[in-house]
Order: sequence, then structure tokens, then C-alpha cells
Amino acid sequence: MAEATSVDEALASFREMMATDGYLLTWSDAGDGKAVVKIEATDGACEDCLVPLPIMTNIMAKALAPTAYELDHVELPPGATH
Amino acid sequence: MTTLREALLDPTGAVEGQDDSTLSARPVTLKGLTVGLLDNTKPNAMHLLDEIAADLERDYGVATFKRYVKDYFGTPIKDELFQQIVNEVDVVITAVGDCGSCSAATVADGILFERAGIPTVSITSDSFAMSGQAMADVQGFPGFRFAMVEHPMASLDAAQIRGRADDIMPEVLRILGVTEEA
Repeated sequence: MAEATSVDEALASFREMMATDGYLLTWSDAGDGKAVVKIEATDGACEDCLVPLPIMTNIMAKALAPTAYELDHVELPPGATH
Repeated sequence: MTTLREALLDPTGAVEGQDDSTLSARPVTLKGLTVGLLDNTKPNAMHLLDEIAADLERDYGVATFKRYVKDYFGTPIKDELFQQIVNEVDVVITAVGDCGSCSAATVADGILFERAGIPTVSITSDSFAMSGQAMADVQGFPGFRFAMVEHPMASLDAAQIRGRADDIMPEVLRILGVTEEA
């Protein structure tokens, strides 16, 4: 049986995309095979550029599919309007 | 009553036609047609559209171009402008989705126009392909095709924008189904 893709590997391209708009993407193990993805704004973040939550969730759920984790939820920066 | 645009803003909303994922009829030729150029206000968006328009006028016989500007890049087009464009043009080209929210919105705009029967090319930068595709997926139109230019766009000079237009033109024509030069 093939080993599951690591979460870091699975999220790498999206992490790069978020960094283009000035956001930092991290994830944490929420237990029971669930992962929480957290988006944080850096000093240079473009507030209006943040990917809307439904779109973010869609991307994250698909990105995690080849891993041993399922998406629990995505946390956006405080005050995010999308 | 939920409008189609509201449903796009809230992808969980149900509305008649929302799951319509059939592309509008392609024009084959652009000769004599009116093409709408929709600027989402991102830097160099209209400059890129103007370069594309120059080629379409010279080589493909477009009769008229109409230029429009959205009021905000991060959300789908407002109803009033949407209806105006639908009533005035045969084809739409919209640019440029070079950030997370605007790439998603640019694709959402394209889907709105396709569902209104207007063949549309949405242009995003390649760095944000995932955002654009995710919007298409969320809207139940996973087969919506959009064109991608190399990122970045905002910092380019005139010659570089001309280069981006050259690079993307074959994809613009392919998405529109245009096979005949003027």
C-alpha cells in the first residue's frame, strides 16, 4: 500500500499561492484524522486579496485528499471579511 | 428571492440554473462581433485587454470593443453592470485575476456570462490557478475553462504586457472556439 502524502507536501503549492498575497499557511492535527488549516496575515498581506472561505475550504479539502487527514476547518485571520 | 449573483457570492445558495455547466455556443469567427473588455481594476488589466483587442481587431475582424470597469475586484460583478454587458456585447474577455480573491471573482464573472449565453474568457495569473478552479468547482462548473498568464502582472512594463498578450492569445482563441481569421 502506498504511503499517504505528507500534509506539508500536499499543501505546498497552496502555501506558495497564499504567500503571493502575503499570507502564511500552517496546519495542525485536530485529532481523529482531522486537520485544521490556519491562515495568518503577514505585514505585507493584501487584505482584499484573501481567497474567500468557501473557495479556501474547497481547495484545502481537495489538497488533503491524498493524505491521511481530512479537513476539519479553515481558520482565517481575525477580521477577515470574506 | 436569491439572484444568480447572490448565489455566486454565497455558493451554498440554491438557485435555478446554478448547476448549469454547459458552455455557451462558441462563435467560430469574431468577424463583425462586439467584444466586451471587462477590467477588474487590477493594475495592467485594461492594458492587457487592450493588447489582446488590438490583435483581435487586426487579425480576427472584431467590429467593436466596449470597455467596462468593475467597482471592486474581489467579488463578482454587480447586477446592473452585468445586465448592461449582456445586452451590449457578443463575447466577453475579463482580466485579470492576479490574487486570491480576484482570480476567484474573475472566474465567477466568466461563469455568470457563460450561463447568460455570452462566450467568455476569464484571465487569471498562473499563480492563482487553484483559486480560479476552486471557484469553478464550487459553482458546479468544473469544466469552465479560463486562460492563465504568467505571474506577475502588476509590475510589468508595456513591452512585457505585449509579451503576455502574445503568450495568451492562442488560449483566448481556443476557449472562444475561434478558428477563422478575418
